[in-house]
Amino acid sequence: MTASRFVAGRGVKGERRPELIAGIALISVPMLLFLVLNIGAIFYAAYISLWRWGLRGPRAFLGTSNYEAALSDPIFIKAVTNTFYYVIIWVPLTMALGLFLAIIVNQKLRGQTFFRATFYFPALASSAAITVVWIFLLQPSGLFNEVRQIFGLNPLFRALGFADDQNWIATSNTAMNSIIALNAWTTSGTIMLFYLTFLQTISKEIYEAAAIDGAGAWQAFRSITFPLLRPAHFFVATLLFIGGFQLFDQALIAGGKGGEPNNALTTIVLFIYRSAISDSEFGFAAAVGMILLVLIFTVTLIQRRVFGDAPTW
Amino acid sequence: MTTSSSPGAIAAIRPIEAAAPAPVGERGRKLRRVVVYVLLIGYALLMLVPFAWQIITSFKTEPDAARLTIIPDPFTLAGWERGFGSLHPGIPQLFFNSMVIAIAVTITNLILGSMMGYAFARLRFPLRTVLFLLVLATLMIPDQLRLVPVYLIVRAIGLITDSPLNYLGVILIMAIQAQMVFLFRQFFLTIPRDLEEAAKIDGAGHFTTFARVMLPLAGPAIAAVAILSFQGTWNSFFWPLLILQSPDHWTLPLALFSFKFEFRTDWPALMSVTVAAIVPILLIYIFFQRYFVQGVAASGVKG
Repeated sequence: MTASRFVAGRGVKGERRPELIAGIALISVPMLLFLVLNIGAIFYAAYISLWRWGLRGPRAFLGTSNYEAALSDPIFIKAVTNTFYYVIIWVPLTMALGLFLAIIVNQKLRGQTFFRATFYFPALASSAAITVVWIFLLQPSGLFNEVRQIFGLNPLFRALGFADDQNWIATSNTAMNSIIALNAWTTSGTIMLFYLTFLQTISKEIYEAAAIDGAGAWQAFRSITFPLLRPAHFFVATLLFIGGFQLFDQALIAGGKGGEPNNALTTIVLFIYRSAISDSEFGFAAAVGMILLVLIFTVTLIQRRVFGDAPTW
Repeated sequence: MTTSSSPGAIAAIRPIEAAAPAPVGERGRKLRRVVVYVLLIGYALLMLVPFAWQIITSFKTEPDAARLTIIPDPFTLAGWERGFGSLHPGIPQLFFNSMVIAIAVTITNLILGSMMGYAFARLRFPLRTVLFLLVLATLMIPDQLRLVPVYLIVRAIGLITDSPLNYLGVILIMAIQAQMVFLFRQFFLTIPRDLEEAAKIDGAGHFTTFARVMLPLAGPAIAAVAILSFQGTWNSFFWPLLILQSPDHWTLPLALFSFKFEFRTDWPALMSVTVAAIVPILLIYIFFQRYFVQGVAASGVKG
């Protein structure tokens, strides 16, 4: 009796148990790291944000003072404005470039692999190296200014208010645009790869039907390709928005800790970094981080409204 | 993305336009070809010229660097000597630091990522779905939000220090990335269950099945994760900047950053160092291009 019950028990539970143990054992170490350094860290940041918290000196509970201080800090407002400006221009620009490249490269071509590999390459270079190269290209006697002179474009640039020896990265009103150009240039290849994977899923019969109906290439793009790529647009936009709000490396390398010139390159994250590392104001920096979290969350929600629900990938 | 990452997925993409000839005449089609190639070559130049210019400049003299000439006149290694000679610490130490951190982070991501990916793909245990979604959610949290808490945690366990323990701080933070777990999970989901059933009949436990049956089949996923982690870590700037204290433990991008402010306009020297920072990744890319493309396409996240 006992023996048979024992055997029956093994049949149900005994088979599951090793699986359960194996599952827990396999995830335990990475899960611990995720829980402490990612998920736990966010809660810890929320807690810290309520305190005056430095490296030395007494801690004091401040309630929402850090948030109020941040929201009334003109430099923080400047950082938010800069970051939004960057995101609003960079995201659509990079999406358009990536989609354009994907469509072009998706045709039967000679050297298709070469072109894909080349377009993706800038995404691989270290942000530090590529930013230094970019600063070099955009300096007063740099390649960009020289080339526009050769092509006789200077009158056009003068009409737009740019000097012949414009120092693009060191001038307040062109610094951020230079970074936008840099990151659109490096990221467009990655976006191209994403769009290519999605383009693969569109069946060619639709195009054949459209061609029979007399649709031209542009018409086919506008009424077939573009709408069918909706999941891709959503996916790519989410990635770029989240990445855009994190703008830091290029801003710091081009503008230093001060986001020079004139805080033109001070982004939200650079501002957090400065408050935490230069000023050791951890409570304040954590509060700014939480504000950024809310911003990203809001933008993601709005975006979901625009593009509809997340596709299942 | 539910699409599996079959090898050469990108290369196998079928051309759409070719399948759907627009109603244009032979001449119109030819014209369109020309336009397409002009665009392609133009954009390729836009991608390649900055790198070429960087290499050319590194072999120029300082006054020559301001001129728009393709061939350095005179051709000189002085920029490389200045660049490599004035870096503190020297290039070998910087390469060593970058290598130690990149290799360690690659290994931890391979081990922890495959373990977790397998468990999420195949084993049943309580809260599996919740935990998986939690891991995925970390992809949405910008790294920099964690700046303050993570810095304080790493500091509290004594890894913000001038000793080589400092490396461990960076390695710990980057030890496992959700993207890599996701990549492994997606790959394991595509492996037919029959193989595990066969192993089970032979009396293999779950760990044996994982290590002896599944991992050997996961070659493409291992390659993609290894390459993405190595490249991502080699280039990473934010965490090393935050954690690494002594210049003796700096990685190449950090040295380049401080060097840029010291050598404001010594472009040949600066360019020589940027070339050194990019070349290792370029070499890996040339040899393993396929895996880069696969990894990016399958994980859906920039490496």
